[in-house]
Amino acid sequence: MRADAMSPKERFAAFLAGKPMDRFLCVPLILNHAARANGVKIGEYNRNGRLMGQCHAGAWRRYGHDLIAIFSDTAILAEAMGTGLGYLEDDVPLVERPAVPSPGDMGRLITAQAHTLGRLPLFIEAVRTAVAAVGAEVPVSCCVPAPFTTAACLRGTDQFARDLIRNRVLAKRLLALSTVTACDFADDILDAGGIPVIVDPVATGSVLSLRMFEEFAVPYLRELHAVIARRGCPVVLHICGQTSRILDAMVETNANLLSLDDISMAEARDRVGGRVGLMGNVRPAQTLLKGSPEEVAREVRALCEIGRGCPRGFILGSGCEVPIATPSRNIDAMMSAVREYGGLK
Amino acid sequence: MTPLHKELADAVVAMDEERAVAAARQVVAQGLDPYLAITEGLSAGMRKVGELYDTGEYFVPEILICSDAMNAAIAVLKPHIKADAMRKPVKVLLGVIEGDIHDIGKNIVKILLDAAGYEVIDLGRNVKVERFVDAARAAGGGIIGLSSLMSTTLENMGRVVSGLKEAGLREEFRVMIGGASASARFAAEIGADGFGRNAKEAVELADRLSRTLPCAQTR
Repeated sequence: MRADAMSPKERFAAFLAGKPMDRFLCVPLILNHAARANGVKIGEYNRNGRLMGQCHAGAWRRYGHDLIAIFSDTAILAEAMGTGLGYLEDDVPLVERPAVPSPGDMGRLITAQAHTLGRLPLFIEAVRTAVAAVGAEVPVSCCVPAPFTTAACLRGTDQFARDLIRNRVLAKRLLALSTVTACDFADDILDAGGIPVIVDPVATGSVLSLRMFEEFAVPYLRELHAVIARRGCPVVLHICGQTSRILDAMVETNANLLSLDDISMAEARDRVGGRVGLMGNVRPAQTLLKGSPEEVAREVRALCEIGRGCPRGFILGSGCEVPIATPSRNIDAMMSAVREYGGLK
Repeated sequence: MTPLHKELADAVVAMDEERAVAAARQVVAQGLDPYLAITEGLSAGMRKVGELYDTGEYFVPEILICSDAMNAAIAVLKPHIKADAMRKPVKVLLGVIEGDIHDIGKNIVKILLDAAGYEVIDLGRNVKVERFVDAARAAGGGIIGLSSLMSTTLENMGRVVSGLKEAGLREEFRVMIGGASASARFAAEIGADGFGRNAKEAVELADRLSRTLPCAQTR
């Protein structure tokens, strides 16, 4: 196995500047798994900012991946705006009481200074903690739920889906308010020395038609992405599930890098690789959780081959969150395989 | 299909609740068979909706609105159905396995199974293994549909199958699984009876599996 010649931070800077790198960046999306890797219960991790930051620093020391990604769940902005979550001892929290179960509840939505409420300050503390601990060597990012996903958590996903047809005015008001909170939160992350990563799991092609994605997701993502770009930061957009149908529209959000899940990376490269950087997509369940280290290595090798043909750059990633119970040996196998097969000479 | 049945089906496909309700009222006013209006009209419409979902023309929002239209019409028809006119439907216990909260897929499967004439018992999301087994004991027999989007929860699906065995209920049930992180290979691995890639496949699978149930439970 080849040894690394650059630190993750150096590699990331080279990637952004389009300069030579020793190998592909490798970003298994280690999110809640950071708690598990440190023997910390998820329910403790997600309500303690300092611990969250420490878990991510610890997980990085363990795995040496190229980007820390701080995350608990995709309802954090909705929670700050009034949605009630149910917490579990060792798993991610669930949306239990949407803030706007009926249109009349719109007035109860918390919008002013929402980015200072709920658990959002904890994430900023987590970013600061991780940056202070290991930020000299590895970039630290923090996930920002996109407006569509937040609006779904505010209203209840089924109800929000109905609103897209029956009550478009309400849907768009929720989206606009969610955008404000998301922009403020992204700014806070940047202030703390982190990189906001936009995640929009509900606005996936598995749920929405292209037409609806264009109408209800794209404009708000653009607004959010502009805030990040204005600060000179690259814009990363992650959408899980099937994205083949909405791939071109994802590019239209002005993201610099698309993190993809259930799609052929070769297809993504051929369709949009000339306009945007691509990241992905080792299969989280079948390969990382259930597969063998050999299967992980095989998939990494094939993805690196595809990645070499990406004109705007490629980052080896996992399709979605690394499952909490993923065996460490498979994450190690992903890192080893990128050193073996991900060289960029 | 009579013109009124067609109108019911078309109204569902067109996401037009008012039209569906108006047609249902006509069925009642004309003294026509309300049960047939559901099976030949509304369910036929939902089958078409399932096809449109399968071919990528309808998505989750559209399906929800179609099912709202169907349910509004059913609410008009149901009080007029004689109890003995209805065949005993196969029960389906449906739920998202413990550890996962993503229930959109499960809800679509529920809508389409409902429309296909199953008696769906929705256990919700983040459902504990023990609750599946308890509900199975109460139902006595039928189909169990387990869904999970997140890969973190696959093990729990296997625990439902073993829980059924331990409770001596395995023979009375067919277990089908679905969700983005599951696969046919995984279904075989945990001893489930089948895997559905999407909601349409789930209904087809339920139809196939219900034919293999011990005869007391088949339609």
